[in-house]
Amino acid sequence: MMNRKKKIVVIGGGLAGLALAMKFCERNGEVTVVSYQSLKRSHSVCAQGGINAAIDAKNEGDTPEKHFYDTIKGGDFLAHQPLVRDMCYQAPAIIHLMDRMGVAFNRTGEGHLDFRRFGGTLYNRTAFAGATTGQQLVYALDEQVRRHVHDGSAKTLEWHEYLGAVLDSEGICRGAVIHDLRTDEIYTLQADAVVLATGGPGQVYARSTNSVVNTGAAATTAYLQGAKYANGEFIQIHPTAIPGQDKLRLMSESARGEGGRIWVPRDANDKRNPKKIPESERYYFLEERYPLFKNLVPRDVASREIYDIVYNQNLGVSGDPMVYLDLTHKSREFLDNRLGGIMDIYTKFTGVDPRETPMKIFPAVHYSMGGLWTDYGPDNDGLIDHGSPRNQMTSIQGLFAAGEADYQYHGANRLGANSLLSCIYTGLMMARGIMNYTDSLEKSVEDIPSTVFDDTRAHWQNRFNDIKKMDGTENPHKLHHELGDIMLANVLIVRDNKSLDKAVHEINDIETRFKDVKCLDTNDWANPSPSFINQLYCMIHLSKIITKGALMRDEFRGSHYKPDFDLHQPKDFDPHEYIDYLEQKQYGEVSQEKFPADHLTYMKRFEENNEKWLKTTVAQYKDNQPEITYEEVNTSLVTPRPRKYD
Amino acid sequence: MAKPSKDEIHYLLLKLHSLTGIVPIGAFLVVHLCVNSLRTVGVWPYQLSIDAINNLPFLLVIEITFIYIPLLFHSVMGFYVIHHAKTNVHRYRYPRNGLYTLQRLSGAVVFVFLIYHLGTTVAPKLWEGKHYFEAAPFLIDILNGEFQTWQGLLVYTIGIVSATFHFSNGLWGFCVSWGILIGENAQRNGAIVFAAIGLALTVLGMATVAEFNMNPIPVEATVAR
Amino acid sequence: MTEKNLTLKIKRQDTPGAAAYWQTFEVPHRPFANIISCLMEIQKSPTTGDGKKVCPVTWDSNCLEEVCGSCTMVINGRVRQACTALVDNLEKPITLEPMSKFPVIRDLQVNRERMFENLKKVKAWVDIDGSHDIGEGPIMTDQDRAKRYVMSECMTCGCCLEACPQFTLDNAFLGAATFNQVRLFNLHPTGEMKKEDRLNAVMGEGGIADCGNAQVCVEVCPKNIPLTESIADIGRQTTWQAIKNIFTK
Repeated sequence: MMNRKKKIVVIGGGLAGLALAMKFCERNGEVTVVSYQSLKRSHSVCAQGGINAAIDAKNEGDTPEKHFYDTIKGGDFLAHQPLVRDMCYQAPAIIHLMDRMGVAFNRTGEGHLDFRRFGGTLYNRTAFAGATTGQQLVYALDEQVRRHVHDGSAKTLEWHEYLGAVLDSEGICRGAVIHDLRTDEIYTLQADAVVLATGGPGQVYARSTNSVVNTGAAATTAYLQGAKYANGEFIQIHPTAIPGQDKLRLMSESARGEGGRIWVPRDANDKRNPKKIPESERYYFLEERYPLFKNLVPRDVASREIYDIVYNQNLGVSGDPMVYLDLTHKSREFLDNRLGGIMDIYTKFTGVDPRETPMKIFPAVHYSMGGLWTDYGPDNDGLIDHGSPRNQMTSIQGLFAAGEADYQYHGANRLGANSLLSCIYTGLMMARGIMNYTDSLEKSVEDIPSTVFDDTRAHWQNRFNDIKKMDGTENPHKLHHELGDIMLANVLIVRDNKSLDKAVHEINDIETRFKDVKCLDTNDWANPSPSFINQLYCMIHLSKIITKGALMRDEFRGSHYKPDFDLHQPKDFDPHEYIDYLEQKQYGEVSQEKFPADHLTYMKRFEENNEKWLKTTVAQYKDNQPEITYEEVNTSLVTPRPRKYD
Repeated sequence: MAKPSKDEIHYLLLKLHSLTGIVPIGAFLVVHLCVNSLRTVGVWPYQLSIDAINNLPFLLVIEITFIYIPLLFHSVMGFYVIHHAKTNVHRYRYPRNGLYTLQRLSGAVVFVFLIYHLGTTVAPKLWEGKHYFEAAPFLIDILNGEFQTWQGLLVYTIGIVSATFHFSNGLWGFCVSWGILIGENAQRNGAIVFAAIGLALTVLGMATVAEFNMNPIPVEATVAR
Repeated sequence: MTEKNLTLKIKRQDTPGAAAYWQTFEVPHRPFANIISCLMEIQKSPTTGDGKKVCPVTWDSNCLEEVCGSCTMVINGRVRQACTALVDNLEKPITLEPMSKFPVIRDLQVNRERMFENLKKVKAWVDIDGSHDIGEGPIMTDQDRAKRYVMSECMTCGCCLEACPQFTLDNAFLGAATFNQVRLFNLHPTGEMKKEDRLNAVMGEGGIADCGNAQVCVEVCPKNIPLTESIADIGRQTTWQAIKNIFTK
């Protein structure tokens, strides 16, 4: 048995990484947090609207079980249910913990936590700190980790990049290869476990709501080293973002949670100032089409509707691909108090004050529901055994993933304000399992021959030396944008196999051209060029995973919308009919009279479709391409059924 | 009280710098300007006030304890503060940044002025041994001459304006540093009040100068030796 | 459509010890372009105005929406976030320099380690017993919350320090950002328990008494944090603390 402290390397200083680092330190472990930049700057700070927990502060009868159901339904039943349920049951404790750490959550008159509404639910379930909740949560965790650094139990390696895992002869992860982004040194860190909390891959699309570090390179490297990558094709397109050249800036769902309304002029040629257009000439299309959830339908639904309004109905504002997001009916004071952060962002980047003039917004790539395949250890109560070493472990033993980099919590579409929750939840939850995992190891990292580390280091050193020698004609940044253009044009809201097939070929072209890239900078001090080329290589492979997964999945589920395979739910269909239908089937014949004929046909097709496609997509690296297989989804707690929000 | 650490001494010295600027130096400045302004009422009351001061028992001890030592301390600390300032008002043109620079500049100016002022009044008075009732005619004679040349007028104008500015702006700085004025509005309103005080003191000082300039009346000792 | 070009004069430096030099770049001028998108254009075609092929300019940035604090630089002589610096609102030609109060790493990148070290000095955290579930946090009025919230938006970007005439490359001044953190945590019911530690930490060389009240910090803060209020409040708290230290220690 080991006499020393257990040591892990956490890659990434966002919510998941910091939460884990904090918890592991508390459990007397030793943590090294590796971050691409200074802590406090991770992409988690961009999260705006809030974090969900069914505390039922407004006496609406909300419960964690309802939160669980909403999340599963929002994700079109593709998420593993015990995990999601456990997360939802842990959520209230997580909010209270963050509150104890000093997060400036908005409060009620009595001084308790205030909650607001968010998409995909009818309850006020979202705790928030103005409109910069992510920033506030990151800071709170960062402060706790800084405290552990101050006390000596945690260490941070900022301005260091993760290049890959060190795998021993049995394929067990024994450490990480790290690249010092300033001195350009490449070296290895020994660890009992390595955790990738490296966030999402938005940069594959070049323009998204993601930060510039969100290349998905770390997760892709794991995939290239043999780890499974799951549900890659499920990319969330956020319905409301501010169009821009370098970035599409998020306009939080909380804008609608606080009463924001989406509309377009009924007349496409209406060029009037939006404030001059009378109510009767405005088309509040989400409210009309979804009278129950109105503007707070889940994101996949809202994005599709906006897409439909702009491209099928040609009703975009002034003929441009934009719709109005209107908050001008709310008072300035109210907006500043509850949405100040996003009001400022809009004003700063467009020069227009959204308190006076409706915002112009359009959907943008936002989040990856997919990510590294990770395991979990269910208990007997439909929850998770927090001590299970399987929790959050990738298919490479000893390599774990957490936060947006994993795939388990959001199914085919994530509900707003669930990402902050899943990040913190995974980080906190997995600590004990990792402790137990290190106990279970037969061989300790000290017993691994040093050649394993030396060889891996040499491999990456050679790789970077080779990159620096690349002297072709292609500019890597231009190539990156071309890759992004391909993805934006073909693998976005509305997908069809012809375009996807075209995209597969175009990505292969990009891959060929990648060989002719020029390394723009060969210095060995603070040189970002070789790293970027390596990241671009990863992004090309990740785009293949996403595109191939999308091409092969012939159905419509959550964010993955293929109109050719839409089952066309009848307008008057009630999802409960499907439960009756299944029940009747279980106890014998389905009565033909009980259901309208079109409903019956629909339900049969729905059932068949689920049998075929209610599966996790698993991509594995083989012959330079992703090999796609499918795995069962754990639906042991709620019966999958058609989604409906109107 | 435990032996203070280097950091504690640093803090206390700076606080003391700030405090001495108000009491006793600032207070003395106010008294000095007010008493001198008696000159505008007439030379007789002015002379009486000088007589009163110069007949104080242990005058030199009082002056050294309550004026010269605090002044020296305030000046030394002031130059320490100036030494650590890297003014950037040319880049960041904000009123408060301008005042920050002027505060340091005026401090240095007042320091030079005081050397001149003391060197031409108190020093010769002590050197020549003009005490008690002899001090007033001696000093008034010097000042009568001082304010007849444009150089003298210029030096005193600069000196007085610098001193009143340094004091009134310093008063504001004191109130912020010691946490008396905290909120944005409080700080702004405080600045207005202190500006008014500064202006009043300047008027007082300059009126005295003007009176000296226009009516240089020589005086005899109130009581002969 | 022909695009108008935009000229950027950029102060560059290859390594920390090396001499700085200026280079001029031309990039296409697009509507709503910001400084970051211009720098991205330079990456795509790293050629100076006079046709010399050079290494792309390096800079720090991440979120591009002014919440991460990475992309602070001196633009036209004034410190600010590059992402919100829209070129249409800037005087031309545009000059870009790294911050002058922090050691340059390379080009527009600087080392802001000092700011993060200061957070440790003042214990800028709430000392919780642990992350296990021990129930609700302390009750707090929404007014107090709102006061803390504006302060807690500080993203450690360094603008307030770059613009501060008291803060230099080699002195010990803690600066507005740090004082603001002291106030932030002293205002929290649990954080308050370590109030004395924090106050004593800012009562030394480079501490609160070194502030010269030039108040440029509050003018350049991209998050509009009432830094001068924080400074004055910490002034008050330390004054009481000093009196307490003198008479009770």
